This record gives sequence, C-alpha cells and structure tokens, in this order.
Amino acid sequence: MSKSIALKEPHPPGDFAIWVIIYVEFITFALLFLGYAFSRRLDVELFNASQLAVNQTSGFINTFILITSSYFVVKAVQSIRNMTQESQKESNIQASKWLLLAILCGIAFLGIKITEFSHIFGMGIHLSTNKYFMFYIMLTVFHFLHVLLGSGILFIIYKKTKIYGYLPNDSKGIETGASYWHMVDLLWIVLFPLVYIIR
Amino acid sequence: MPNLKRILEIIWVVLVILTIFAYLLGYLKYVNASLVAVLLVTTFIKGQLIIDYFMGLKDVKLKYRLIPTLWLGVVISLIAVAYYLPVTS
Repeated sequence: MSKSIALKEPHPPGDFAIWVIIYVEFITFALLFLGYAFSRRLDVELFNASQLAVNQTSGFINTFILITSSYFVVKAVQSIRNMTQESQKESNIQASKWLLLAILCGIAFLGIKITEFSHIFGMGIHLSTNKYFMFYIMLTVFHFLHVLLGSGILFIIYKKTKIYGYLPNDSKGIETGASYWHMVDLLWIVLFPLVYIIR
Repeated sequence: MPNLKRILEIIWVVLVILTIFAYLLGYLKYVNASLVAVLLVTTFIKGQLIIDYFMGLKDVKLKYRLIPTLWLGVVISLIAVAYYLPVTS
C-alpha cells in the first residue's frame, strides 16, 4: 500500500550505449522525415500521384507486424525480469518462445518488404525517378536494414535464452536489444502514415 | 500486479485500432486536410504509447522519457507545418 508512489529508475533500460545510438538514429530519421515533408510541399501533385504506386495494405500489415513483435519482445523482457533463482530455466524458456515469435514477425516484415521492393523496382522505379521515390526508397530501404539488424540482435538474445544464459537480476542484455527493436517500431509508426497515407 | 500485466495487452489493442484507423483513412481515400491533423495526433499517441510502455520509459527519470517524446512531438509538429503552411510562390 505504501508502494503507491513508485520510484523512477535513474537510467533507461539496457546499456546506455544503445540509447546514444537510438538518439543518433532519431536525428537521422527526423532529417529524412522532414526532408520528405518539406519536399512534398513544393510538388504535392507529384507526391500524390507517385504515392498511388505504393501498396498501403502491405504498409498496414507491416505496421501490425511490428507492433505485435514489439509486444512479444516486451513479454520476453518481462519473463527475464521476473526470474527467480528457482525459475531460471522456465523463465529462459518462456523468453525464448516470445523472442521466437518476435523474430518470425521480423522475418515476415522483411519478406513483405522484399515483395514490395521487387514490385516497385520491377516497374522500373529507382532513386532518380522522382523526389517521392527517392525519399520512399531511402527511407524504406534504410528502415529495412534496421529491421534486418534488429532481427539479428533478437536472434543472438534468443540463442542465449536457449542455453538458459540469463540469470536473475541479469536483464541488461535483453533490455538493450529490446530497446533497439522498439526504436525500429517507433520509426515505422511515423514512417507509415507519412509515406503511405498522408496525401 | 494483474492490472499491470493487462496494460500491455490493452496498449497493443489500442495501437492496432489506431493503425486500422490510419489504414482505412488511406484505403477509403478519406484523407483530407482536417483528417491529416487527426492522423498526426493518433501517430503521436501511438508513438508515446510505445515510448512509455514498450520502451519502458514511463518508469524512468523524466529527462530520459522527454528525449523521445520531444523528438516525436517536434517531428510530427514540423510535418504538420509542412502540410498546412501555404506555399508562397
């Protein structure tokens, strides 16, 4: 009852180095988002016409996939955080199951994106086709690479859970990977309406 | 404690509902100037939910929570400026 006023943690979850990387990514993507938004102002018709070539449905499915994968990652982190000396094995098994689901989501995202890219590039569209596609390709390919890296990080954490490698009070590693994955999700949350929906 | 566990599920449902809303606006070609504002506000809400509950910054010192919140707020505000500011030729 006396715990109603919760104490705030002094630092964000995971290794602080990942947060420095996350802040740099924020700045990089902010410049790209604003580059897109302010370039669009100068040629709204071109952006609206070009946007018709991208598949909003695959963008929506990918948003759903990333949100769901982020949820799975939080559940994995919770499994490790709530671990006790007695539940070490069970907690690692539980976390590995959540992580596997998150990795499968990451693979699904990449698969859908590759299909989308092959459709776009198959139409003969490339970086210099026009400004809309220059930003579309730069933003989505750059984000694709982040999902690829994030999936790799989740896989490394998954492998550690498979050997029951996490111990009680040892959640920093999984929190670090999770923070990166949530950043990838957060960036897509802004990218999806900006590039696929707003016209 | 059980409530805390359920919060994550509720957040996921809210994120999915807001995403469906954004998609339907685009799919049904309902996107107009006033709905873009609504879309940007819902994008901010989605981002803030991820920052607070998925990244877990709700329980961290305010300055660490403010960095991504300010980033999100500034980016979305400037996207709104770019969208609504009249082009002067």
